[in-house]
Amino acid sequence: MTGKAKLKTALTGYAFILPTFVFLIWFTYYPVYQALIGAFTDWDGFNAPRYIGLDNFVRLFGDEVLRQSTINALIWVVLSIVLAVVPPFLVAELIFQLRQARAQYIYRTLFVLPIVIPGIVTILLWRFLYQGEGAINQLLELIGLGSLQQLWLGDPNIALYSIILMGFPWISAFNLLIFYSGLQNISTEVLEAAKLEGATGWKRVWRIDIPSSFPQLRLIIILTLIGSLQNIVPPLIMTNGGPGYSTYVPILHMYNVSTVNGEFGYGMSIALVMFVVILLLTLVNMKLVKSES
Amino acid sequence: MRAHRLPGAGQLLLLLLLVFNLLPIYFILENSVKSPLEFASSTLSFPKALQWSNYGAAWDKVGPSLYHTSVIIAASVVAIVAFSAMSAYSFSKLRFPLKNTLFLLVFGLLLIPGFLTLIPLYLQIKKLGLSDSYLALILPYIAGGQAFSIFVLKTFFEQLPDEIFEAARIDGAGNIRIFSTVVLPLSVPICTTVAIINITSLWNDYLLPSLLLDRSHQTITMALVAFEAAAGNYGLSDYGGMMAAYLIAAVPLLLLFSLLMRNFVEGISSGSIKM
Repeated sequence: MTGKAKLKTALTGYAFILPTFVFLIWFTYYPVYQALIGAFTDWDGFNAPRYIGLDNFVRLFGDEVLRQSTINALIWVVLSIVLAVVPPFLVAELIFQLRQARAQYIYRTLFVLPIVIPGIVTILLWRFLYQGEGAINQLLELIGLGSLQQLWLGDPNIALYSIILMGFPWISAFNLLIFYSGLQNISTEVLEAAKLEGATGWKRVWRIDIPSSFPQLRLIIILTLIGSLQNIVPPLIMTNGGPGYSTYVPILHMYNVSTVNGEFGYGMSIALVMFVVILLLTLVNMKLVKSES
Repeated sequence: MRAHRLPGAGQLLLLLLLVFNLLPIYFILENSVKSPLEFASSTLSFPKALQWSNYGAAWDKVGPSLYHTSVIIAASVVAIVAFSAMSAYSFSKLRFPLKNTLFLLVFGLLLIPGFLTLIPLYLQIKKLGLSDSYLALILPYIAGGQAFSIFVLKTFFEQLPDEIFEAARIDGAGNIRIFSTVVLPLSVPICTTVAIINITSLWNDYLLPSLLLDRSHQTITMALVAFEAAAGNYGLSDYGGMMAAYLIAAVPLLLLFSLLMRNFVEGISSGSIKM
């Protein structure tokens, strides 16, 4: 290529990425920059932000609400991972063990069907089911377990668990399909060999299926870990963190100190710490994956 | 076909889990046609008389928000696909200085979680005075959709054989003509997939609209939350309508997924998503 043609190609190259970068600079890079800088200021959204060094980060350590939020987030992460792994794997295994391909296809489709329900509807529906006169308490009365009726979202001791445990029977369509694909990829030779050794039924699940599903398991665990740390909409809509601070999580705390109290600088310091935590988790995981392959 | 054998207990368990899994859909369906009186007596039994007027009542409440959401999503997704396809073409087929650095700048955005920019965006939209305009959401959505879409499209464009580009170039076509007459027609299926993934995530978004947009431009998710809050205040009068509104909100996703269900199930099941 001649120098002139090269220059023309380069100019076209820049022209083609220009619209993307106009939007990214305006609505992504600049907000990210503001978030990073804002964390070190007393920014209130109106007056010019004043640099206050590490004051916000010092304040984080004494913040009782943040302490409670962090404990809640850890409970959330652990339970979310269990719920994201166990029920979908169980269903994937049960479908995989069906004899007919046709039956497998029908079950797979029917289990995936609920993804058409918008996430917000699931949250609102469960909020409704959890009400004092709601369907869950009605059902308990109906089957003679009226003594187990609870104020599911009103009791500070159980509200957090009620929110985490919504969505029974916790069969995420995405996770189910991932696990199912893992099971399908187990080679026929491995299965034949297992059969010869007498590993059938539960024995085979333990010795072959679960170890073979480790890559899928790791993918789902890391996605759930990162996703559940960012969860804010369920507690925001179901309880707004209450009663008291019993269902607060760090991101909700950031949201409320910023939008309700107007302490944007402090809110950004919470966001920055959470961002670093999530980034480190992601990078460590990428490193682990790379070193294995 | 390998012969698997699932014992009777396993089959029963699978069926039971399926019933529980579909229960929310049943719950929404049967309550969406219930009169307030029947609703008050039980939310679990199937109604004796079907009250279809609930759907009219729901439409009055969420109809306008469906319009707002459609306008916002249509404008955002068209711009997302157009701009990300241009960038993906540039990153995969053109040569220019700093290309890799610029691509890393885009790619790195996949590591930036939404909550980090939430509050700065909120202040920026307020400062621009856009809260009473669809642009309050369209502009951030266009920016937010770029990284993922560029990444997917770039992978696809790189797999296109170089010969077709050379052939077009020998015919005297410039980059703009190659992009619009060679690349775009070949990438209709992948662009559709990218569009549908973006539509689905924007349709479900609540956090950004609730922060950035005023009530007179409210999106479907905002309308549903408002409906739920109001339904409680009127006693039991509007719960049937509320359930009907939930169903209406699911219809567009049902249509999109029925178009894509086979691709979606096959795509994930074929093992292309792995670490």
